[in-house]
Parts: sequence; C-alpha cells; structure tokens
Amino acid sequence: MAIYEVFLKKDGRDEYRHAGALDAANDELALVMARESYIRRAEGDRLWLVNREHVLVADPDFIAPNADKPHRHHDGAAVAARRKAAREATE
Amino acid sequence: MSRTWKDLSTFEAFLDDGGIVEVDDDMPDEYRNAVFTFIEMHANSEYMGGLTERDWIPKTPGLRHKMSVLAKTQDEIGHGHLLYMVAADMGIKTRTEMLEDLMAGKSRFHNVFHYKAETWGDQVAIAFLVDAAALASQQAVFKNCSYGPYRRILKRIISEEGFHMRLGEDRMMRIAQGTDTQKEIFQGALDRWFWPALQLFGPDSKPNDVLLKWHIKSERNEVLRDKWVQKFVPMLQSYGFTVPAPDLSYDEETKKWDVGPIDWEPLKKTLAQGGPDSARRIETAKNAWDESAWARDVLDGSKANA
Repeated sequence: MAIYEVFLKKDGRDEYRHAGALDAANDELALVMARESYIRRAEGDRLWLVNREHVLVADPDFIAPNADKPHRHHDGAAVAARRKAAREATE
Repeated sequence: MSRTWKDLSTFEAFLDDGGIVEVDDDMPDEYRNAVFTFIEMHANSEYMGGLTERDWIPKTPGLRHKMSVLAKTQDEIGHGHLLYMVAADMGIKTRTEMLEDLMAGKSRFHNVFHYKAETWGDQVAIAFLVDAAALASQQAVFKNCSYGPYRRILKRIISEEGFHMRLGEDRMMRIAQGTDTQKEIFQGALDRWFWPALQLFGPDSKPNDVLLKWHIKSERNEVLRDKWVQKFVPMLQSYGFTVPAPDLSYDEETKKWDVGPIDWEPLKKTLAQGGPDSARRIETAKNAWDESAWARDVLDGSKANA
C-alpha cells in the first residue's frame, strides 16, 4: 500500500488545490479511490495524484527569509501621498 | 523541520492567536492525543453510520430513495476513509489499529449508532434529526478548528452531510403529507429518536474542556443542543407531530422552548458500548471486516504472490 496526495482543479478556474490523501495498493486503484472519495459531485475535472514518498517538503526555516523583504512590495501609500502633494501644489 | 513550541502555554498562545497546526508540526502530546481521539471517534461514527445506511439498501421503498440511500452509504464510508487518513497521519495508531479497536469495542462511536432502526420511519427520523445534529456539531468544529488537516477535510464532509439532511427533510415532509399510517410510523420513530438525537451533542461542556480551550470546538455542547431544540421542536409541531418530551414548555418572554430535564443514563450506556443495539452493530462491523480480509490480503500483496 502507498499513500497518495490528491490535488484537484476546476475547469478554467483556480489553481490545483490539495484536497487530501488516500492509500491504495497501486496507481490504478489510487485513481479509482480518488474518483470515488474526492470527486463524487464534480468537485474538479482535473486530478493529480502524487505518491507521498515523492513529495519534496521544504523546511519552513528555508522559506522564511523571503517573508521579511519589504523592498519586494509596494503598497502604493507613498505614491498616493506624492500624487496628492503634486495635485495640491498645482491648485 | 517542523515548528516547535517551548512549552504548552506558548503553544496555547499560538492557538489563541488563531494559529493553525499542521501534521508535521511538533505539537504537544496532550494536544495530539486529544485531537486524535476526537477525529478517531468521528471516523468511527462515519463508518458505523455507513454500515447502518447499508442495512437499509434492500429495504428502502422505491428506486429513487434506494439510489439516494446507496449514494449516502458511499458518502459515509468515504468520510470514514478521509478521516481515518487524517487520524492515521497523526502517528498514534494506523488505520488498521483503529478499525481493530473499533471492532473490539475499545474505541467510541456516536451514541445514535447504538440504537436499532426499526422501520423506514426510523431511517427518515435519523436522516432528518440525527444528520442535522451531526452537521451542526461538525460546522461548529469547522468554524474555528486549529488542526488544519481536519478543518480542510471537514469542509467536504459538511457539504455532503448537507445533502443528507435535505434528503431527510424531503422524506420527512413526504411522510407528513402522507397517509395516517405513514404519520403513525414516523411518530413512532420520532418517539424513539428524539432523545438520542438531542443527546448527540453530549452533556453540558465542562469549564475546562480542552477541545474548547484548544480551538477544536468553537461552541459549547449546551449551546448547540439548545439551537437544535429551538429549530426542531417548532418544526416537528408545525408538521403535526408530537415532540416526545412530557415536560416540554415554551417561555413567552424569552420565546424559547425547554425540553425539561435530560436523562443522561442512556448516553452513558452507549459510551460504554451498552446501548440497545451496540453488540449487534459491533458484531456486524466485525463480520464485514473479517469477511473482507481476503481482499485486503490480495491488495497488500501478502497472499497474492504466495
């Protein structure tokens, strides 16, 4: 038996989303189990199954540094303030 | 690899702050055990509920209803699968161990699956009253559940339970608009199922209930139970049925129904596997498990190559 992670996608919308997991004796039965457990009422029309052993899991500490890089964002507040100042100067 | 917390109070502060725990986090053992036991009981209940539903496939009146009972059976067994997967991933018991404990009477399942469904009316009462109570409990967990994998799987379970409840209401209304015999059968079922359904919510939550403290449950048992009473008592009466509560009263001031004192002895019995139908239910499940052993053997290859 192997554990498979289940990913579903709806037609034309959204990205593939993780729906859960299942265990099955082989790939063929895993597909049947996924259809019967996760897509009973058209919850998606595309299906990916990934053997859990093949999922690469990143360490949260490895990903964390990118959460603290404000220079990669611009919320527009400074631009709005400058626009306002410019408008007021010409009035 | 995983997130860790230096002590329980730091972990609790994380939960209070809306933190979501993932399967590979190094969660405190107390939390892991409590959440696991809760999910295991939910999984067992879905599985036992599916077997109950299965009992009625040959006896269901009419092809349309029979097809919906088939679909519901598959839904419930499917929910069992999904939940056993989430529970097994917590690393305390494997799915096989959980099923073996269930068959040995060592682990719990909901009180309502310890009673006998006597007639088709009982199945209607179960689908209407019990599924509504189960759905309300699950929604209260889904709302704010701190264990991510459980919360995500509950989303799909709740959407399917919604179909079951509407199916129950549809059947109940057909009976309410049916013949006197049909109404009599349903009233008999209601007399049997009103109290077990109400007791599904459990006794009043204890002040120190860790499931509330750790944001698994979002609402106290008595609050959920009262909401169910306020909805179903007037609904059943409006369809012409009698609520089997001798001390039932209505407070004009608060506009609320009160079912009177609740006898919790029947619930306690079911929790100790001593309900009216507990032994037969567990035996049926065990027989199904034993009779399908050959299929599991073939699938895991242990006998296939012999």
